[in-house]
Amino acid sequence: MIKFEHVGLRYGVGPEVLSDINFTLEPGTFHFLSGPSGSGKTSLMSMLYLGRQPTRGLMSMFGKNVGQLNRQELKKLRQRIGVVFQDFRLLNHMSAFDNIALPLRISGQPEKEIRANVEELMEWVGLGDHRHMLPNTMSGGQQQRIAVARAVITRPKLLLADEPTGNLDDEIGLRLMNLFDQLNRMGTTVVIASHNTVLMQKFSQHDRIILDDGQAYLEKPQQTIKQRLGSMF
Amino acid sequence: MINFIKKDRSLGVAKEKRKYDLPLNKGSGGSFLKILMGLMTILAIFALSASFSLSEMTERWSSGLENKATVEIPAEDNKGNIIEQVVVDKIALDIESFLKGHPDVETAEIMRPQEIKDLVSPWLGNEITFENVPLPGIVSIKFKDDKEINYTILESRLKSFGEHVRLDTHGTWLADLLKFTGALNFAAILISTLIGITTVVAVAGAVQARMAVYDEELELLHLMGAGDRYIANQLQRYSFITCLQGSAIGAIIGLILIFIIGWLLKQRDISLLPDFNLSFVQIIILIILPFFIGLLAMVTARQTVLRELSKMP
Repeated sequence: MIKFEHVGLRYGVGPEVLSDINFTLEPGTFHFLSGPSGSGKTSLMSMLYLGRQPTRGLMSMFGKNVGQLNRQELKKLRQRIGVVFQDFRLLNHMSAFDNIALPLRISGQPEKEIRANVEELMEWVGLGDHRHMLPNTMSGGQQQRIAVARAVITRPKLLLADEPTGNLDDEIGLRLMNLFDQLNRMGTTVVIASHNTVLMQKFSQHDRIILDDGQAYLEKPQQTIKQRLGSMF
Repeated sequence: MINFIKKDRSLGVAKEKRKYDLPLNKGSGGSFLKILMGLMTILAIFALSASFSLSEMTERWSSGLENKATVEIPAEDNKGNIIEQVVVDKIALDIESFLKGHPDVETAEIMRPQEIKDLVSPWLGNEITFENVPLPGIVSIKFKDDKEINYTILESRLKSFGEHVRLDTHGTWLADLLKFTGALNFAAILISTLIGITTVVAVAGAVQARMAVYDEELELLHLMGAGDRYIANQLQRYSFITCLQGSAIGAIIGLILIFIIGWLLKQRDISLLPDFNLSFVQIIILIILPFFIGLLAMVTARQTVLRELSKMP
């Protein structure tokens, strides 16, 4: 599903922020992505959501070499990816409903279908009576739930979330993690970047990708030995 | 109190239905574009009206003087001696009689003294008395439509009635006048073209500025899988509506001004100036001008957006 082979990334003429990354994410897997600040989590995530192309190496997604795709094909790939950004990136001139409906509108779904799906999801994330509210008048937790709902509304094949439970209380956070888990069981590949060790321990059955100093390591459940991904594949 | 509650309830609620994914209706950029398009349209209406009027005036002069000529019997001979009015009138009668018998001439008519006075009075004033002023004799000729006239032969025949007799075919001064009006017309078309170019540059600049302001929102849409055309459609729709609104207001003001100018010119009764009575077709062209400007803005916005988005990965 996702394959990184000797992938490196640098910004401009600066040093490589990610160097020689090698890993494969099989369809339907669930991974946490963790590592200290400045380890390259955001850079790796931006490559995963196709916001940035690697400066070297081979990156393939859904069986396609990303470097060889044209704009139309990249657009189709992006529509199969759902992203929860750390800073939510909600559109503040639009209602909560319209923010969540946006990916469906982009993919050209009929308005009747959009309304039904969005209303159902809003109820599920506990924002059923906030559909006309503007995001910048809502709490951080509510905004985060909108961001999550927007990312999952299209039932993406790959779900990427950057600190998705950061502003949520434990109960809501757990509920969202259960939603991700549920989506994962339905076949969605999930990658969650997180610092939250408590949360990761609660869901310790999932693999962890640990980034450190521009290198990636895989930690399997119950394993104590870090295994460099490059040597595994 | 009731009003306060109503207001409070609406706090933080989206006030209108979603129109665009980008917050295009926020900020003052739209008002600036509307005002600019309004002013451009007023200028375009002036330039086009001038062009229409000049074309009509040229057509009127050309068709009015086609197949026509004038024979002038000056009131003084080539040496500057004043010729008696009786003699001038006699020569005029002889020439009229000769022309009426000419096979290529349809009509020949001596211009009455009052008509000559009416012609010269705008230059000499109405107060002047013509009793002691010798008036020239003038014979108007209309040639048959299908005849090729040899003016050299005709003029030499006319000179047999008097060496100082002149044949004026209007050709020379009409050609100069047509050149002049042609130059004015070209200037009007040039101004219209410049207005079009300015519109394109202004819209492209406004769209680029908007894209720079909303680059995060644009990136978000891009990452969600919005195609370039999806994004371009929104900005082109916004540009079309904004420019159409501004241009429509400009067109209304411009047309009102044109009609006021036309009315004022009519009051002054200046026959040499172009007639500002626009034809039905010309008025329709001026009315659809805002739609044309809107379309121009739409196409410009689309091309600008597609060019800018092509820089994204």
